[in-house]
Amino acid sequence: MNALTRILNSPVGRKVTMAVSGLLLLGFLVAHLTGNMLILVSKETFNHYGHTLISNPMIYLAEAGLLGLFVMHFTTGLYLTRKNRAARPQAYERNERAGYASRKTLASTTMIFSGLVVLVFVPLHIWGFKFGAYYESAEPGVRDLHRLVIETFQQPAWVIWYVAVMTIVGFHLWHGFGSGFESLGLSYRKGLRRFGQFLAVVIAGGFLLIPVLIYMIGDKL
Amino acid sequence: MILDGQVPGGPIADKWSKHKSDMSLVNPANRRKYDVIVVGTGLAGASAAASLGEMGYNVKAFTILDSPRRAHSIAAQGGINAAKNYKNDGDSVHRLFYDTVKGGDYRARESNVHRLAELSVNIIDQAAAQGVPFAREYGGMLDNRSFGGAQVSRTFYARGQTGQQLLIGAYQAMMRQVDSGQVKLFTRREMLDLVVVDGKARGIIARNLLNGELEHYAAHAVLLCTGGYGNVYFLSTNAGNSNVSAGWRCAKRGALFANPCYTQIHPTCIPESGEYQAKLTLMSESLRNDGRVWVPQKDGDNRPPELIPENERDFFLERKYPSFGNLVPRDVASRNVKEACDAGRGVGLTGRAVYLDFADSVRRLGSDVIADRYGNLFDMYYKITNENPYEVPMKIYPAIHYTMGGTWVDYHLMSSVPGLFVLGEANFSDHGANRLGASALMQGLADGYFVIPATLPNYLANETFGDAPTHSDPFKEARNSVQSRIETLSMINGSRTVLEFHRELGGIMWNQVGMARNEAGLKDALVKVRELREQYWQDVKVVGHTEDLNKQLEFGLRVADYMEFSELLIRDALARRESCGGHFREEYQTEEGEAKRDDENFSYVAAWETHGNDREPELHKEQLSFENVEVKMRSYK
Amino acid sequence: MSEMTFNLRVWRQANSESSGRLVDYTAERISEHMSFLEMLDIVNDKIILEGDDPIAYDFDCREGICGSCGIVINGVPHGPNPGTTSCQLFMRHFKADETITIEPWRAKSFPLIKDLVVDRSSFDRIIATGGYISCNTGAAPEANNTPIPKDIADEAFDAAACIGCGACVAACKNASAVLFVGAKLQHLALMPQGQAERDRRALRMVDQMEAEGFGACSNEGECEAVCPKEISTKHIARLNRDYMRAAVKQALRP
Repeated sequence: MNALTRILNSPVGRKVTMAVSGLLLLGFLVAHLTGNMLILVSKETFNHYGHTLISNPMIYLAEAGLLGLFVMHFTTGLYLTRKNRAARPQAYERNERAGYASRKTLASTTMIFSGLVVLVFVPLHIWGFKFGAYYESAEPGVRDLHRLVIETFQQPAWVIWYVAVMTIVGFHLWHGFGSGFESLGLSYRKGLRRFGQFLAVVIAGGFLLIPVLIYMIGDKL
Repeated sequence: MILDGQVPGGPIADKWSKHKSDMSLVNPANRRKYDVIVVGTGLAGASAAASLGEMGYNVKAFTILDSPRRAHSIAAQGGINAAKNYKNDGDSVHRLFYDTVKGGDYRARESNVHRLAELSVNIIDQAAAQGVPFAREYGGMLDNRSFGGAQVSRTFYARGQTGQQLLIGAYQAMMRQVDSGQVKLFTRREMLDLVVVDGKARGIIARNLLNGELEHYAAHAVLLCTGGYGNVYFLSTNAGNSNVSAGWRCAKRGALFANPCYTQIHPTCIPESGEYQAKLTLMSESLRNDGRVWVPQKDGDNRPPELIPENERDFFLERKYPSFGNLVPRDVASRNVKEACDAGRGVGLTGRAVYLDFADSVRRLGSDVIADRYGNLFDMYYKITNENPYEVPMKIYPAIHYTMGGTWVDYHLMSSVPGLFVLGEANFSDHGANRLGASALMQGLADGYFVIPATLPNYLANETFGDAPTHSDPFKEARNSVQSRIETLSMINGSRTVLEFHRELGGIMWNQVGMARNEAGLKDALVKVRELREQYWQDVKVVGHTEDLNKQLEFGLRVADYMEFSELLIRDALARRESCGGHFREEYQTEEGEAKRDDENFSYVAAWETHGNDREPELHKEQLSFENVEVKMRSYK
Repeated sequence: MSEMTFNLRVWRQANSESSGRLVDYTAERISEHMSFLEMLDIVNDKIILEGDDPIAYDFDCREGICGSCGIVINGVPHGPNPGTTSCQLFMRHFKADETITIEPWRAKSFPLIKDLVVDRSSFDRIIATGGYISCNTGAAPEANNTPIPKDIADEAFDAAACIGCGACVAACKNASAVLFVGAKLQHLALMPQGQAERDRRALRMVDQMEAEGFGACSNEGECEAVCPKEISTKHIARLNRDYMRAAVKQALRP
């Protein structure tokens, strides 16, 4: 077994894989959210932003990288969950939160479920937007993504679905950010964990704000 | 039998170093041909197993617990003495030697004590190198404190858990040898008999506590590191599983048992709160530095302590010992507490407690200073009793916590059965009639790390060993006797539990053979203990299967041995018609009520040879001579 | 003195092969001053006199330092009080007539032996792979030759305070042993004596932990919450760091 596989297959290595891929994906979410916010600026800005992104040849590399991180994160996550479950073959008849120094929350105990929701969501999301209806904008060659977004989020079912999923993403980040840093051995401090929870609220809130706003005042955007 | 301690000649300061170079050695290449059994994995056992494994012997280590790291050495709080003189306050090997001999009330073997004092410095070096997190000064040097009234600061400590940290050091060293294959570890095994072949200790019979199987183990030497017998009193500060069975079984196989009547009582324990109580918890006696001991003057005064005015309180230690007051030695304090309670002036639910009051100190020094000094002890007390000692007086009562007596050993730590070595609290050797604070850890580790690695090779090199396969007759005989004992016990199916019997035995021992003893009481106790033993074998109820994890059976066998052993303890107390150290005979006291030694007639080690339950044990004496310290009388007025 | 009654639901299981179940018992005439284990003693005395097999559980020192006892009480290892072992838990912390659920540590790496008794020898095997400083008896230098700053010694002590009871594993939803291993590693890694073997120790102990079948850490901190010595999870973060450092160094070694 060579040294790299040994590291990656170790219990610490797997947690580091989770942490690094998770934190990088979180970085992507921040960038994604910033881009999405442009929809609040103007139709043209938003469409230009989209056009610039996909017309850059580096996009394929970035997409491959993202896909790689995503696959790494969920395969390792699934593997660890299976392994962790195997470490306690018989469950407690009664199991309570210990309180005191414990940081166990609804979010921390449901990471695998929130993660699985995202796993279902991401392909649907890509199918709905990246490979969704192609509208030509006034500018030739530039896709009118703005129209697709507005049309999608004027349907209540889509809004509810996105709001629900983004809330769940928030839960995932609530525990994931601080936990990632602890796995990296960088910090176990309360402040960092609090910052992660703040970030979770901002990211989830930002993402779900857009469909809600569009549903409410979409004709004005 | 003339008992020869095998003490080497020469000036006391040179005995050990000279003898070390005179003793025979085993060639490194030959060591793997020798098997050594170590029973018990406390400080003595773990350090011996580790050291012998490092040297290349094949070691088999046994513990009754699920991990060696749980042995009761772990509970020692205070510290470990060493004559390092780091404080430049005049300490030396000789002074530690002197203090220990005097503290033992001149009933220890001088040469052993001097060796202990010499080795004390090496123990600290060894433990520090293993990573034991001793307390440090800001400059990074090891810190020391004065302990148990010593005039020098020679006690090394690791907060309140010196025992646990030293044990972890020894345990880790032993586990390293487990990893290298030199030590084979057997957990949840209880030694139930010694196997003697051609007059030499050659193996043990152990019960596998998981499935009840009786297993045979053969070796060239057996090291007994099984601790003390304090639990013969039922309530003590010992752990629940601590027992005398291994030592007692060896006694029945011919190993002399020395000075069983030397038992130490610690005055500042948390009193029992009811008869269900399983153990007593010790608190550091440093509490007496700032606490005042008192009881109500009137018998049966049930008022809460704060409602009893000062002039209706009896500060009996201050009254009787004006110069030492509350700081009289452990045995004096304990006896006076018991007297007050026996006179009906005890307090608390059971009437077996006295107040240790910090109110004056809190007023004088402020609660911050008191918290700084005793915070962790107050917290522990609060956790157990739910009473806040900053506001209401603590209640304390004495309890048995160490036993100085043990299997008789010579200078090489070998018992009267060749090949059977006894280390730590299980032997009788170093503490005389009374042990000084912070020297139990020192003795266990000195024996295991340094004495046995030097003396065991001398035995192995000078003996010729015949074959002693585990299917030979002596193993079969020992196994069969264990088997029949187990079967008999489990078939009685009487009406009382092992716990009830143990509690009753403890009651007799504590009341009549406890901290103050007299001839009539001892004789009466002897009769009662015998009666109880007969009842035990007719009426005890041990349920469950013998081929299973069966704690009732484990305890049943141990209590059966206590029933026999207690008789020897009482006989020893009867025969020692003097008071010394932990042994106080009411007939032999000064006019001030102090212990009165009889050096003329009793300056000897009482080593008992047992002859079964029907014949009286036989007393053998090892005369003690004191050439390097002046024998004095103590006084605390 | 008031006496209380409790309804106990105790896990009874004859051995590792048989299946277990919760059995109801009544603990009567229990004083608030009794420890949890003394309460069990009383229940056991009654069971014995009825001729049945008493509840098996491990104990030894009964003063919170040996780490023998370990019972999951109402869903929490060592019960409701922080920084407390089962033996130092007193009945005054329960309400009269309360139903108390009593279970063993549950983990694949702590196979059940009987009732509440489990096999924690996996901890010893982890220590054997590297939880020590190699220094043969007699080879030690003078103790004060290696000064150790007080704060470092104190921190090492905090880690060394671990009593090896296994509550951390019992509490973790993944039955992970990283708090135990982290504390053991940091006890030795913080001190200058422990540097020579630091990398080897981290690699070997973590590998053994994996081989024993313990789960991974989810950073929930339940372990710290139930630890009788309140050992901080910062030792887990440090374990991760030490292990990665050692593994990378090993990988880069030509």
